[in-house]
Formats: sequence, C-alpha cells, structure tokens
Amino acid sequence: MPTIQELSTPHLLGIKYLSEDDIQLILETTDNFKEVLNRPIKKVPSLRDLTIANLFFENSTRTKLSFELAEKRLSADVINFAASSSSVSKGETLIDTVNNILAMKVDMVVMRHPAPGAAHFLAKNINANIINAGDGTHEHPTQALLDAYSIREKMGDLIGKKVVIVGDILHSRVALSNIFCLQKLGATVKVCGPPTLIPKYVTTLGVTVEHDIRKALAWCDVANLLRIQLERQTVKYFPSLREYALFYGVNKKMLDELDKKIVIMHPGPINRGVEVTSEVADSEHSIILSQVENGVAVRMAVLYLLATKRGK
Amino acid sequence: MNILLQQPTIIAPNTVYHLKQYDILIQNGIITAIDSSLHNTDAKIVKAHNYYLSIGWLDVGTQVGEPGLEHREDLESVSKAAMAGGFTAIASFPNTRPAIHSRTEVNYLKHFSADRLIDIFPIGAVSKNCKGEEMAELYDMHDAGAVAFSDGKHSVQHILLLTKALQYVKAFDGLIINYPNQSNLASDGQMHEGAISTQLGLPGIPSIAEEMAIQRDLTLLEYTNAKLHFHNISTATSVEIIRAAKAKGLNVSASVAIMNLVLTDETLLDFDTNYKVLPPLRELSDVEALKNGLKEGVIDFITTHHTPLEVEAKAVEFPYASFGAIGLETAYALSNMHLGTEISQEQLVQWWAYHPRKRLGLAIPEISVGSLANLTLFDSNATWVYEEDSIQSKSKNSPFIGQTFRGKVVAVFNKGKWMSFL
Repeated sequence: MPTIQELSTPHLLGIKYLSEDDIQLILETTDNFKEVLNRPIKKVPSLRDLTIANLFFENSTRTKLSFELAEKRLSADVINFAASSSSVSKGETLIDTVNNILAMKVDMVVMRHPAPGAAHFLAKNINANIINAGDGTHEHPTQALLDAYSIREKMGDLIGKKVVIVGDILHSRVALSNIFCLQKLGATVKVCGPPTLIPKYVTTLGVTVEHDIRKALAWCDVANLLRIQLERQTVKYFPSLREYALFYGVNKKMLDELDKKIVIMHPGPINRGVEVTSEVADSEHSIILSQVENGVAVRMAVLYLLATKRGK
Repeated sequence: MNILLQQPTIIAPNTVYHLKQYDILIQNGIITAIDSSLHNTDAKIVKAHNYYLSIGWLDVGTQVGEPGLEHREDLESVSKAAMAGGFTAIASFPNTRPAIHSRTEVNYLKHFSADRLIDIFPIGAVSKNCKGEEMAELYDMHDAGAVAFSDGKHSVQHILLLTKALQYVKAFDGLIINYPNQSNLASDGQMHEGAISTQLGLPGIPSIAEEMAIQRDLTLLEYTNAKLHFHNISTATSVEIIRAAKAKGLNVSASVAIMNLVLTDETLLDFDTNYKVLPPLRELSDVEALKNGLKEGVIDFITTHHTPLEVEAKAVEFPYASFGAIGLETAYALSNMHLGTEISQEQLVQWWAYHPRKRLGLAIPEISVGSLANLTLFDSNATWVYEEDSIQSKSKNSPFIGQTFRGKVVAVFNKGKWMSFL
C-alpha cells in the first residue's frame, strides 16, 4: 500500500523521477479506474474542468488512442495536435508551438517527441503539467506503469519476480522505463538481444545481460518482447529480420520446452513472426491485450493524480 | 597615461621580483620603474597590495564569430570578453564564414587588433573552408602572421591531408593543432558514453573516438617528424597515450578545456544544453586524470574553449542543441577554485600565459624596466557573482550564470592601453 496521498511531482517526465510510493499510488489508483472501465457507464466527471492537449510529434496510434480515451473517460476536454518532427523542426520551435496551444488555456500537456529530454525541456519552459508519452530513446513512463500493473494483476506482486526484456534495448524508451519501474517495485531484470542492440553500459542500471533467448526464457517469470524498431536505426545492427526471428524470436516450441509457464508481454505493435510468432502472441501465455486494456486505466490514474495535485 | 601600481605581488619567474611586492610605474605603455616605493604625481594610483600581477594571459582556440557569425560574437565583443577574463591575447580558431583560410582573412584579424589592447593571433585553417579536403595556403598564411594551423572545431579526418599538412609546415617550423575526434565513431553522439548516457537514453560519444584519433595522429606525427598539438583532450586514456608519446620524444603537446577539468557528465542529468560541449564532459576518473596530467606536465595548458552560440541554438530540445559554451570570462575563476589548494597562482599563470605562448612560438612578455607593459592584475580571493547582465560576450550560453566565483581579474594592460574592472 502506498503511504502517500499525492504524487511527489507535478509532471510525469519519467519513471526515474518517481519514488516507489509514487508508483504504488498510481497502481492503487489504477485499480479504481479499472473498476470504472467495467461499469455500464464508463465515465466519471473528475477532470471536467480541465483541457488537455495531446501533442504527438512522432507517429503513434495506440498510445494516442489510449490517452485520448483515458482523458474522455475522465470528462476532460481534449485537443489533439499531430505533426511530423521534421516539419516542426524546420519552422516553429517546440516552445512556440506549445505556447500557442497553451494560449488557448490548456491545463495539461501529453507529449510524444523524438528528442530525449523533450518533456524536461517543456516542463522547464512552460506553465502546465507535462506527461511524457515517449521522448525519443529516453523514457515512456506510462508504458512501464501499465506493464507493471499488468504483471501485478497476473502474478500478484512484483517483489522477487524475474523479468527479461528482449530485443532492441539500445533504442528503446520502453526498456529503460521498464527497467527503472520493475526495479523500484522489487523485480529482477535481465535484458536479452543481439550485442549490437544492448547498450555497452547497460549493467550500470543494475540489470544482467543474456544473448541466448532460450536461457533467458528458462530464467524468467515474465518475458517482455520489444518491437524491433527498424525506423530508429541509422546503421545496420543485425543482418536481417529473418536472422533476428531465427535467433531472438519466441515461438511455441521454446515455451513448451520450459518446465514452467511464463508470461509473454509486448508493448505493441507486434511484428508477427519476428519478435514473436502468432501462435504465442495469441496463446494463454500472452497478456498483450490486458496490457492495452490496463493502459487506459493507468493513464486515467496518472491524469487524475496530476490533476488532483494541480488543484491544491 | 601613466599608472602606478602599488605593491602587487609580482609573478615573474626567473626575475628578482618573483613573488615579491613592488611598486610598478607604467608610462605610455612601458614599464619605466620597479621599486619598493615609487612616487609619481602624474600617475593614476592603483592600490594593488592584495593583487597579483603577471604577464598578460593568452587563450588558444577562441571562437571569434567574425567574419560571418556576428550574431554570436564579433571581434569587438570577444575582445571585451577576453579582457574581462584577464586575457590580453587570443589565438583564434578559423571557424568563421568565410573561414580564416587565406592571407586575406589573416590580415583582417591582424588589422583589427593592430591598435587595440587585445592581440589576436590567428590560427589559420588547415584545409579550405575547414572542410578537411583540400590544403589551404599554409605558407602564405604563416607569412601573413598565422601562428598555427587547425580546422578548429572540425577534427581533420582525412589521413593523407593531415600527413601532408604536418610535412608541409615543417618548411617554416609550423605547428598543426588537431581536435582529436574519430567522427564516425561519435556520429550521432550527444554526450559522453557511460552510465549517465545509458540512463538518459542519449546516444553516447565513446572515449575511444578521441583516443583512436590521438593514436592515429601520433602515428602520423612520428612518420612526419613534425609538430602537433592536441586541442582539448578529455579522457584518462588520452593522458596516458600522450604521456607515452612525450616519453618517446615526439614533438607533441596537449591542452584541456577548463569545463572538462572541473565538471562531469552528471551535470547533464537534467538535460541542460549549456553543459552540452565537445569534447563531452566525462567521468570523475577522467577529470582526476586530466588534473594529474596537467600537474605532471603531460597536458601543457588550459583553454577557455570559448564557443559563443545564439540562444536559438541552445534553447531547444537537447539533441537539436549545438555543442559549446562561452568561457573567457569564467575560466580563471574556475581554475582558481577547482584545481586544488596545492596549485599556486604561479602555476596557474604558467598554464594561462607562459605555456601557450611557448608552444605557439610567440614572444613572451617580460616584467622588467623598459619592457612593454603586457600585464594582467588579478585578485585570487575576491568573490563575485557571475550575472547575465555583466557578460561581455554577445552570447550568454554559460552553465555558470548565477554562480559565485572566487578569483577575479582586476585590470589588463597592453600596447599603451589599459582596462580596469575595479
């Protein structure tokens, strides 16, 4: 149980900046909103006085939908702004874009941006609560929170659980936020992938490294399989998707060979047949769709808690 | 104008005045008398018993902005910034538009400084437009007064060009200065590669990008038997490589930027772009090794690494911000505060005034009767706050604004002029 009533921070910039109590408070609050989402009327008036801007400077489908749904279920007024980063960087600066939107009396900003630190930059320069919906290769805190929530829901508790994160760790904000979040909640984290996709100094984060997917699966209770982000790679980090799928993809045979039943997660969108076969993605091992459902509740909890703090 | 400096502690190694207090009379820019007590009714009296007096300081590798980048800095503003920092001379880098890559541009800088307090010693470009492709007219620039050759902030990557440049300047005993950076290893790097970059998800600049460049350039140096200076090294291993090269007898020298001597990559935890510099701020073990390297003479001198940038280049998302910070006005105070109590003011003056001149082959001013007064008067104990309004540089890209410093420049003298900051 969290020992605090409100978050320690006016922004959600990253898991790194949250205390364990903050995370517990978010997870407890998520329980309440998950219950709301299962009512016949899935809407509460908590944020009806607030206007939230969703600023997406990088493509997103599910995160954007999830935030928008969470905002609407809390009765907030919502505006959406989407732009490719290239068109913005050629013209108006981020501060100007955001200040223009804030001039329309926006209270909270949810932002996805390709630059690490972009959410920090915004928090330092504008007067609104900032929620980081992914800043480049830095953090994606709500994804980590919904992953933690989903594991907790499935397994009861995170203390002592073994979680392996598989795939492109080097370019992954999901990996980084997950590592911070899982560790703060008492889990042990291993990363697995081709050596070119593992940051050289990753062990300074307190994780261990494995390059053999079978050994990693045998070790873990939960495997979180990351999307291979070909769009973030400036040079070739591995020869082909075929070879990646052969040596790092998870298939049913591998899971059948284990003497235990592990949980399979994926932040989506899945490259079926690359990170994971369809057979596994759609199997009883998989909690991929629970993650999506929990995403809305977690985001409602975050928005609600930041708004509550704002009101004081 | 006549000035009587009363009782400063004189730092002038190998003279009878060294570390003693004397009165010094400056008449029309010349030191006309040094004695235990002087009187002159015409002279402006400066009570200097709490101050040190040394020859004027010199910064190597200053970015001057003019011609072409006057929105960042121009020769007038960089001169003011230099003087406020205690420098009576700068050896400027050629990264202007156009680059300082022929006699014309060298003359432009020399002409500007001819009748001003500040001496500008141009460092000419190694290659045309500092592009690292085609050799610039090095001999002609030398003849016009260029004191060394470098592509400045651009590390020369072209091995054959660097080999030929090292060979070519031997005709006039010229010095090549290279910023060591293997650029394709550091391609999209934003900061030092290590634990902090891993936490921040920022692409790293590995230490080996610098160390490999140094190894490579030393191989070329040995082959050409020429003279090479490494501008601003930043890693512990670089210090060791250069130590070994010096022991081997190679004609090599190195400098370190003051920020790399006093700060680590932890300053970037908050994504403050004013700490985004090249070479990147590295780890505590590197900082310690750089300090030791300096004290042991492996590193020859310190630079301010003055890199003015307009606010639009800094007040942006971290990866889009340019590298660099201004440094002229804070360099001495940082060196005074952070290099340890065992470092004397005399040692600081060696690094800020004597060693750079020796390496560039410049005449070294003297403190003696009959000499031109090229002097810096400074107070090692004065505390002051670095306020944005007081910055002389046109650009304000410093991470130190608002901080309290110990050690302040009181006045500079050169070419019959003086500037007081009392």
